[in-house]
Amino acid sequence: MKPQLITLHINGRTHALAAAPNATLLETLRDLGYVDVKSGCEKGDCGACAVLLNGEAVNSCMVLAGQADEATIVTATGLGTVTNPHPLQQAFADHGAIQCGYCTPGFVIAAKALLDTNPHPTELEIREAISGNLCRCTGYGQIVEAIQAAAEQMVPAEGGAR
Amino acid sequence: MTELQYIGKPARRVDALEKVMGKAKYIADRKLPGMLHARCLRSEAPHALIKKLDVTPALAVPGVRAVITSEDFFEHSLFGFPVKDEYVLAYRKVRYVGEAIAAVAADTPEAALAGVQAIVCELEPLPGVFDMEHALDPDAAQVGPDRPDDQHPNFLDLLIVRQADPLAEIEQCAVKLDERYSVGPQEHAYIEPEGALAVPTREGGVLVYAPNQSPFVNYGVLAMVLDLPHNLVRVIQPPVGGSFGGKDDQIYQMSAQVAKLALLTGKPVRLVYSREESLISSYKRDPMHIRIRLGADSDGTLRAVKFEGLMDSGAYASESTFTAWRGSIHAMGAYRYNACAVDIKCVYTNNGYYGAFRGFGNTEVCAGIEQAIDELACAVGMDPLDFRLKNCLHVGDRTAHGQILTESVGLPDCIKTVRRLSDWDRKRAAYANQTGNIRRGIGVAALYHGTSLGAEGADYAGSTIAVEQNYSIDLTSGLTDYGTGSRTVFTLIAAEELGVSPDRIHMQRPDTDTAIESGPTVASRSTMLGGNAARVAADNLRQTLDYAAADLLGCELHQLVRSGEAYVGPDEEPVAWERVVDHAREMGLALSAHGKWTAPRIEWDHHHGTGTPYMAYHFASQVAEVEVDMRTGVVQVVNFWAVHDPGKVIFPQGAYGQVYGGVAQGLGYALMEQITYTNGYLQETNFESYLIPTSVDVPEITAQFVEAPFSKGPYGAKNIAEPSMVPAAPAILNAIYHATGKRVRDLPANLERVLLGHDLAKGGSAKACKLGLKT
Ligand code: FES
Ligand code: FES
Repeated sequence: MKPQLITLHINGRTHALAAAPNATLLETLRDLGYVDVKSGCEKGDCGACAVLLNGEAVNSCMVLAGQADEATIVTATGLGTVTNPHPLQQAFADHGAIQCGYCTPGFVIAAKALLDTNPHPTELEIREAISGNLCRCTGYGQIVEAIQAAAEQMVPAEGGAR
Repeated sequence: MTELQYIGKPARRVDALEKVMGKAKYIADRKLPGMLHARCLRSEAPHALIKKLDVTPALAVPGVRAVITSEDFFEHSLFGFPVKDEYVLAYRKVRYVGEAIAAVAADTPEAALAGVQAIVCELEPLPGVFDMEHALDPDAAQVGPDRPDDQHPNFLDLLIVRQADPLAEIEQCAVKLDERYSVGPQEHAYIEPEGALAVPTREGGVLVYAPNQSPFVNYGVLAMVLDLPHNLVRVIQPPVGGSFGGKDDQIYQMSAQVAKLALLTGKPVRLVYSREESLISSYKRDPMHIRIRLGADSDGTLRAVKFEGLMDSGAYASESTFTAWRGSIHAMGAYRYNACAVDIKCVYTNNGYYGAFRGFGNTEVCAGIEQAIDELACAVGMDPLDFRLKNCLHVGDRTAHGQILTESVGLPDCIKTVRRLSDWDRKRAAYANQTGNIRRGIGVAALYHGTSLGAEGADYAGSTIAVEQNYSIDLTSGLTDYGTGSRTVFTLIAAEELGVSPDRIHMQRPDTDTAIESGPTVASRSTMLGGNAARVAADNLRQTLDYAAADLLGCELHQLVRSGEAYVGPDEEPVAWERVVDHAREMGLALSAHGKWTAPRIEWDHHHGTGTPYMAYHFASQVAEVEVDMRTGVVQVVNFWAVHDPGKVIFPQGAYGQVYGGVAQGLGYALMEQITYTNGYLQETNFESYLIPTSVDVPEITAQFVEAPFSKGPYGAKNIAEPSMVPAAPAILNAIYHATGKRVRDLPANLERVLLGHDLAKGGSAKACKLGLKT
């Protein structure tokens, strides 16, 4: 089978490449150097590989690169910089939501997707939104807290989504 | 003690931003020019002789650069501590499904796989041992190595504790208990699968990046099996994506495989596991069968315990003899007894293999004894929390091992605090006699957990510290932070000792060329051992700086005071810390120091089962509240309280994180994490079948600390990582009993066991496992 020529818009940069028909988006992103997208199971069961695909959180191991042709993709490194982290990233760091950190980029992406559609989630809504992401270290409590804190910070009392 | 500046105060993990920004480079994220990809040929048989192993066809596969077997190593790659029975690559025999037989390095992962498939390997099946209860039958197949004595070769070890005659004592007791419990294996399930990357050096040596727990152990194994002088081996620690006891021997095997392949090919070689490969080939928590006999007076005075455990070590010893020892020491629980006997026997089988996992034997025995104590309290007619409070260890008590506890016993306070936080008495009464389909229950467990290695081995750690050109401070430790937060703990300790801001300090990850050998990163020993080493190193450096400051300020040492980082002398004019550093340099003083801390020597008599097993203990009490659906057997943990005595808390946010994560792992152990070997073939080969708790399974956890300081710990600190998980499972099991009136004595308490009281007969085949080895 022939490789397919595709274009991906990743974290604001455009990549044109030839993707093997069976190449997953996860492999492709990692080969391009976006190694903040982690591999934990390659079966859609851990969420470590989550990215925003046209604004929606997906497990990139379950998407073929070819299916993502022309898509806009955001990974955790695309959300902020070390000197100017995204409020979610800042909140994760401040609230102890990170231990080994391997699951963290995936959680930040899942949380971003949630807050984009639901800026005032309840605790239960947060827990449900991240229930496809496995974390073996934290017991989830500090992750939930971090997302709550970021939500409060991102949507000030007067309203107006950021 | 003067007011503490950084210890116990709010702080952020030193690696938080790097990780959350996605900048941390784990092993699978490291790619080097010309790097080759490795893959292992693994056994598809649980027990077999290697009849033929021909790797030449693999070498003919395009892209394959090298293939290795046990022949390529010193003494066929034999290693292992404390029992040397394992190989980097199997020699003559395979003992479990998934055991590595040969390793291939190739230009691409695809070529490596093609190479593995081209190897000619003929296995002649041997009868296997799959039931630990029959491992020592006279006609059981030999799994373990030949023995010099007349013991069965499948016998690995027997660990005992002895005090008086418990059976005679129980005979005289008004209330008796004799029950059996069992715990299953548990997978670490770190989200980062294992990996290793080796780079050949110009000098003919090798540099290995490995997410191992104990870089210096890896370093020693590498030098031994590669037959290289130590100075040609270097191990560097990348960030580790979780370990929990799991990234020990398995990573040393992988490191040796890639190191040999790198030496042969002259190129960097990386090996990274798939989740299937990780689950099938890696070791798990040892399963145990337990029989407990207890006796108490009718007023609830606990008098005697006899604990018998049979532990499966699987195909190799790994850490099982140490695990069983820690298990034996804690098997009777944190109570006073007149008489006690513990016997834990470990045996070899062909059910994968078992090694270190958080709690290290205590998690296993605690699940048994803390249910038994609950049952006995019930038989006496006492509230289980009152029963524990009446019999638990206090300062001044003598343990079942004969050790007098002279300090730092926070257990009574932990139990009283968890009672109050959980609203125990009201709920206990409110949930009695329920009849509906959805029932609530509340259960408690108590814990003690020995700090560090104890009498297991030499217990020391080292640290280095140096002031750099730009006035930042480099700090090293020989111990690894695999997610626990120990780098932050060391940073805070050094900052406190030196009186400088933690931001100045760069806590390095271990590198065997620059850090000091510190023993293994196990047994929740980092805070106490590594923390003390960092404290000593920083204190040594501070003395040099104080000396320079006194010289600069023209005063005596005792006249110096600190104002923030600055030094202040008798003329009360603060002098910046940097100026003191400059002055020290002008004086020609060395602005670097070493710190080493060795734990006080303690003795355990293995033959008589008495002595002082640990210098101090962590204490805790946890309460679980559950909701059980009587129609389906579904158990939801709805509330959880954990009160721990880790001594002085150094890094509160991290300590709470350890408790929350530990409880979550204990919840998985109690309710859902099931590992099944069917004739040696693992049935759970990825996360769709090996279920671990998600955010909707883990409730909000309330944690609190009772800080009973330990005089030898840094600032009074003891330990936290392992003990946080240990009592969670029995607390949940006791809560299920309170809700349903039925005991589930076998872990995990899955739907069938809760609903029906027994397992459903399940099929199982070699299929998933064989398929998993091919993904
Ligand atoms: S790696 Fe994609 S969900 Fe686990
Ligand atoms: S922080 Fe380790 S898996 Fe989440």
